[in-house]
Amino acid sequence: MDMTLNAFTLSILTGLQLGSIYVLIALGLTLIFGTLGVVNFAHGALYLIAIYLAVSINNALGFGLALIIVPPVLFIIGVLLERGLIQRFYDRPHTDQILVTFGLAIVLQEFLKWVFGANNIPFTIPAWGNGIIFMHEYLPFLEGFVVYPKWRMILVVVAIVTVSAVFALLHLTRFGLVIRAGMRDAEMLQFLGVNINRRFMVVFGLGAMIAGIAGVFGGPVTQVSPEVGMQLLVPSFLIVVIGGMGSLGGAVLAGILIGMAQSFTAPYIYINTIIIYLITVIILLVRPRGLLGAKGVFE
Amino acid sequence: MLNQDNFWQHNKAVLLFALVALTMPLWFPIMGGYSGLDTKIMIFCIFVVGFDILLGFTGYLSFGHAAFFGISAYVTGIMLKSFSDNIIPAILVAVLAATVVAVIIGLLTLKRTGIYFSILTLAFAEMFDSMAMSMLQKWTGGENGLTGMPTPMLFNLKMQGDTVFYFVTFMAIFLFYMAKRIERSPVGLMMKAIKCNQTRLEFTGINARKYKLLAFVISAVYAAIAGALMVVYEPFVGHEFLGWHQSGEVVIMSVIGGVGTLVGPMLGAGFMLYFENVLSVDLGEQWLLVLGAIFMAVVVFMPGGFMEGIARLKKRYFTTVDGE
Repeated sequence: MDMTLNAFTLSILTGLQLGSIYVLIALGLTLIFGTLGVVNFAHGALYLIAIYLAVSINNALGFGLALIIVPPVLFIIGVLLERGLIQRFYDRPHTDQILVTFGLAIVLQEFLKWVFGANNIPFTIPAWGNGIIFMHEYLPFLEGFVVYPKWRMILVVVAIVTVSAVFALLHLTRFGLVIRAGMRDAEMLQFLGVNINRRFMVVFGLGAMIAGIAGVFGGPVTQVSPEVGMQLLVPSFLIVVIGGMGSLGGAVLAGILIGMAQSFTAPYIYINTIIIYLITVIILLVRPRGLLGAKGVFE
Repeated sequence: MLNQDNFWQHNKAVLLFALVALTMPLWFPIMGGYSGLDTKIMIFCIFVVGFDILLGFTGYLSFGHAAFFGISAYVTGIMLKSFSDNIIPAILVAVLAATVVAVIIGLLTLKRTGIYFSILTLAFAEMFDSMAMSMLQKWTGGENGLTGMPTPMLFNLKMQGDTVFYFVTFMAIFLFYMAKRIERSPVGLMMKAIKCNQTRLEFTGINARKYKLLAFVISAVYAAIAGALMVVYEPFVGHEFLGWHQSGEVVIMSVIGGVGTLVGPMLGAGFMLYFENVLSVDLGEQWLLVLGAIFMAVVVFMPGGFMEGIARLKKRYFTTVDGE
């Protein structure tokens, strides 16, 4: 592989940027799976709600308001969904949970298609995020003139901040301690008198809120059309599987891994289209529990 | 009970299905169904009956059965185009190809529990979808789909109109009969035991993986036959045959009708295609939204689908007073 340092750096950046979107979607998925044990087929549809809300508010009232409004709204939608629908399914078989969230995904997707149409809606990037970054000014080892779209770099930063915030919440607060305990053994926690149900509600809301953040910043990159939700859901599922079901660190690691793999195979179109599946199969054969998956969890 | 050779008792459902299916050209147009839609319904009856052997018996929810449907459809199309316009070799090769793929995917995915399995089957189907769109474009026709097939022939018989309908319907009746046989057999019992309690089954010394793989491959064969017949019915293969929409459709049909009953999923297939093609005239673009809502309502309130609904109605109106 003959690759200049410049091309290599750009591939790294693209990999990070692709990985950022995947990580933001997969983080919510794996958080919800790890705590509630629910595989949320409607998570792509939550992202879809986020990008449509974001594009509407952004194009009418500006990006600042979209950023303030969309994530909290998604949190509320998540809480309502958990209370109204998902919580009825904790005692039902896993397949029923998949079915109901799949049905929800169809309903949400078709509803948004009905309201906003099937075509892509252009997402106007705010002035401060528009344009390009001169990478060679920051990275002295680059030769000559190397540029990268500014918005995509912002997306990477947002992903890093979000991931850090989630980790801080889980590892530095009492709420996080309870959630992590719940991920390990929900039953034991209930024996100890902890009201786990309320936390479940909050976790589902949090997962939806992360999808909201992803939508606000990812919308301009992934486009805004009804197919986007499902297109992102499949790779995000695989990232959750590769990382280890329910492992947050695993989701981050796998998300970046897949982003990089897609970025570096971009010149080889045949490999590029199936690389994510190839990696999944290899991981599945070599390490069935995923990169950072806990032993015995859905192995 | 198995020795008791009560022909009527065992084959009541099959005979009833045959009666309903074969008379379809007489009553279906009255309901507003156009000619050809009945053939499509029969094709999907085959698909969902096979799917029920996996989902209904073993409880494994596959989100990737479009892979077998689509692969078989593509192979059938390519065979008709470049080998012979006779459908028999085309269908045989197509089903064989899909079966080989099913064995490989089955071995890889069935290592996992239910949730993993759903995600991984979805991923494999998506992989074939993207392969059909990129590296296999030369053979599949990519975005445009596979076209230019000759009129399919059953030896000297042109496969058009009513001929296709009766050919497909006889296949559907035969395959439904086979599914019923599997359900009654010891193998079927093992499959159902997997759904009930796999761990306990394994404790009795039985190799559950063998039966899971068998159920998976049988359901894939049904899907493949349906895929091949789809090309005989309409000489075109698009990549949406492989997409998650297609897999999802089969899941919806099965669940709406009633998983695990064999008859239910066929009712579901009939309902969904009728809904999609006839009732959608009034609903317009939003038919899928309405269908999604119906699907969700069924999952939440009536997990047994139409069959549970029918059973409930029967219980309410046909139980005698002393039954209480």
